[in-house]
Amino acid sequence: MAAQTKEKKQSQTADSNISSPLSGNLEDDLQHIRQGLGNSMDLIIRHFKMINADPQVAVIYMEGLTDKEFVDDFISHAMSFQSVSEEGRKLSTSQEVFHYIKEKALTPGKSQSLTDRSGLFEALLSGNTLVLVEGVPEALSGDTSGGEVRPVSEAGTQVSIRGSKESFTETISVNISLVRRRIKNPDLWVEPMKLGAVTQTNVAIMYIHGIADEDVLKKLKEKLKEIRVDSILESGYIEQLIEGTVYTPFPTLYNTERPDSVAGNLLDGRIAVFVDGTPFVLIAPATFFMFFHTVEDYYQRFDISTLIRLLRFLCFLISMFGPAIFVAALNFHQEMIPTPLLINLASQREGVPFPAFVEALMMEVTFEIIREAGIRLPSPIGQTVSIIGGLVLGQAAVQAGIVSPAMVIVVSLTGISSFTTPAFNMALSVRFLRFVIVIVAAFMGLYGIAILALMLVAHLCSLRSLGVPYMSPLGPFDPQAQKDTLIRSPIHFMKIRPRLADKSIARKKADKDRQGNQA
Amino acid sequence: MKTKHLSVLVLFVLLSLNLAGCWNSRELNELAIVSGIGIDRVMDTGKLRVTFQVVNPSATTTTQGASTNQSPISIYTVNDRTVFGALRRASKQATRQLFFAHAQLLVIGESLAEGGMKDVLDIFERSHELRLNTTVLVSRDTDAESILKVLLPQESVPSIGLGKKAENTSKVWGETPQVSVFETIKEITGGGGFTISGVRMLGNVEEGQKKASLEQTKAETSILISGQAVFNKGKLMNWIDGPEARGAQWILDKIYETNLNLDSGDQAKAIAVNVVFSKTKIKVEMRDGLPIFHIRINEEGNLNETQSAVNLSQNHEIRKLEAEMEKLTKKEVQEAFQAAQKAECDYFNLGNEFKRVNPAEWKKVEKDWNQIFAKGTLELQVHAFIRATGMRVTPLKAPE
Repeated sequence: MAAQTKEKKQSQTADSNISSPLSGNLEDDLQHIRQGLGNSMDLIIRHFKMINADPQVAVIYMEGLTDKEFVDDFISHAMSFQSVSEEGRKLSTSQEVFHYIKEKALTPGKSQSLTDRSGLFEALLSGNTLVLVEGVPEALSGDTSGGEVRPVSEAGTQVSIRGSKESFTETISVNISLVRRRIKNPDLWVEPMKLGAVTQTNVAIMYIHGIADEDVLKKLKEKLKEIRVDSILESGYIEQLIEGTVYTPFPTLYNTERPDSVAGNLLDGRIAVFVDGTPFVLIAPATFFMFFHTVEDYYQRFDISTLIRLLRFLCFLISMFGPAIFVAALNFHQEMIPTPLLINLASQREGVPFPAFVEALMMEVTFEIIREAGIRLPSPIGQTVSIIGGLVLGQAAVQAGIVSPAMVIVVSLTGISSFTTPAFNMALSVRFLRFVIVIVAAFMGLYGIAILALMLVAHLCSLRSLGVPYMSPLGPFDPQAQKDTLIRSPIHFMKIRPRLADKSIARKKADKDRQGNQA
Repeated sequence: MKTKHLSVLVLFVLLSLNLAGCWNSRELNELAIVSGIGIDRVMDTGKLRVTFQVVNPSATTTTQGASTNQSPISIYTVNDRTVFGALRRASKQATRQLFFAHAQLLVIGESLAEGGMKDVLDIFERSHELRLNTTVLVSRDTDAESILKVLLPQESVPSIGLGKKAENTSKVWGETPQVSVFETIKEITGGGGFTISGVRMLGNVEEGQKKASLEQTKAETSILISGQAVFNKGKLMNWIDGPEARGAQWILDKIYETNLNLDSGDQAKAIAVNVVFSKTKIKVEMRDGLPIFHIRINEEGNLNETQSAVNLSQNHEIRKLEAEMEKLTKKEVQEAFQAAQKAECDYFNLGNEFKRVNPAEWKKVEKDWNQIFAKGTLELQVHAFIRATGMRVTPLKAPE
């Protein structure tokens, strides 16, 4: 008895996570749970008394995390057993009751018995319902998770004209199922884990066994295991914790909220990381060119897709170098501009009080301000901002003679070009680099732009995403993969899977089957 | 230790970046864009009189609602011994630094051309501020300064307009060549003769430089491309015009397009044929110490107008017209050739062709080539072809 009280004291004072077995004393165990959760109001404990049998039964669940109807159904099932079945009326001891509930009355799909107190919290907070029976040092845990979640809806950030309208939600199980529906193959493996010392966030790695590269997979798992933080509130946390190079403007992991994009990347041998609580799924390893591809490239015919892809690369270059080249040409290389254009530009700049560089910087900063304001505001007001910003500011600034019309054209073209990059995080890094390049251009002209571009290319080539060179398949050069890098060749030409690491050529399964038939 | 080395390296790289690069950053509105340069000789002093035509950007037609009453160009005139001296001395007059990279036109004054102009062209090749693709014209019966002062209709910058005039007329009329500074330098250093288009002014400068002269449908003063200035040993020798000039272009294979008015039966010059293709092939051989120039011209044209009642559906009529074309071309070429022989100046560069095929022989005759050239004979072959006769077959005919 003394030992028991001591244990009780310990469990009350010490961290509730320290494992201790269940006592079997119902009141004791319930007290432990209540205390562990700080008497939170969403913890629901319901007591029942059997008609014939002695033992008290308690049903414990978290409101909101569980499906109410499910729980009610479960309780009514469990409690009504006595009246409906012959067997039920005979029950008397605690053990018999417990076993009966476990074997017969428990309807939920997933159930298990727990003997450890610490496991109780995990189960409760995952939306399970616990059943404790007086005198039994064991708890029944049934999966009743549910409650209000956002339904699957249309993608908000990665919109496509053609293709699936589904996008991920905040619920990890729904997200996993969305991908599994697209790849009906037993080789699609999902490995769960919990990350975040405080948040205990559900994280899952998904890959296609046999296609995903083992080394990359190993590396990813190691990196995930090394994560030691309190909270994982979004996949962005994981992205920043596992990316190889921290000091780079370029994103080295890809994220998407489109299940078809995840499916496509899994089939290319990449690995997806699902995080509970966010619709954005990470994809690793990421290469530079991935950020300019969209799923729609594969849904449209190859000629259209190729042209649009090339257009995107052009826009990338414009949004990166546009204002810089303009400033460099105006300040250093006037002889490069055709004469009529030069006279035109000169007449526009007549009376503009600022140097071209200051003008460019001013316009770029204004543009960024308008953009940021537009994002943070609710959408109806956001449009007002863009009207005021774009129309009024631009027009008025030109009429007042503070900026030249040509500069407004260059800056707005740059801005619009930056929106064509499908991946928002890549567009962000270009947004930042643009300023650096403009500054260099203002001091060193085209020479500076060339030097900086060289440095950027060198940097890009040095980057790696989980050991895979960032610039692949251009550097290292892979002739086979060129079919789907800058251009998108017809689907029946792409018979070989992209190589992420230096591995032997892997034919696509359909192609292998076809060849097998011929032989 | 390693990071220290690295930071030193980075520092060196960054410092060296500053050493190179474009230190001469200039704002566009601190530059005076020079559109044309004119060079005259100041009599008696040996100095050059350099004229700059500078664009006034705010007054050009490209500006939205240009409301200034300024002239689209300003003229600065400077006297100095050297061209570069004049370029820099101009800073005393100009509000901004002169910027020469966009000079479209170089006008050589007739007085300077007569005395030899090779000296003033050195700077165009030597200085990075000037360009070699600038069009060269020689002022005729006037000085370069006046030519640059006159405003032109349509083109707000006269130098650009004059450059376009020279280009257009050489392309569709074929009497005058469009020559760049680069070509001129090449010809001068090549030692042979060469020709440059002339430019003439009708009217007077005082009216022509006023904006008001453009307010009437026919400008008070106009500038036109006129004839070819023939240079021998870098000095202006004489002018050639009309058929002679076109004949020279024919020998030089510089006819892109031109018009021939052909005789037809009873009516003289009543049929216009637009020559759209012409190719000249030259062979030179020496016989008994005298050169024979085999010139073969292939030309092709479209009949564009007829005022004579010729039956164009008949093949033999066309053949007749072709023969007429050949006759006319031959006449012009022969005239041009004889004029050159008379002047004892091989401005067709026929010597060059001879040098190419027979360098050893050339060495012997090089010294007095012009005299030998003057005694040479011309073997001319012209082959003409009429490709089309337009959208009508029979000529217009009034009922009798």
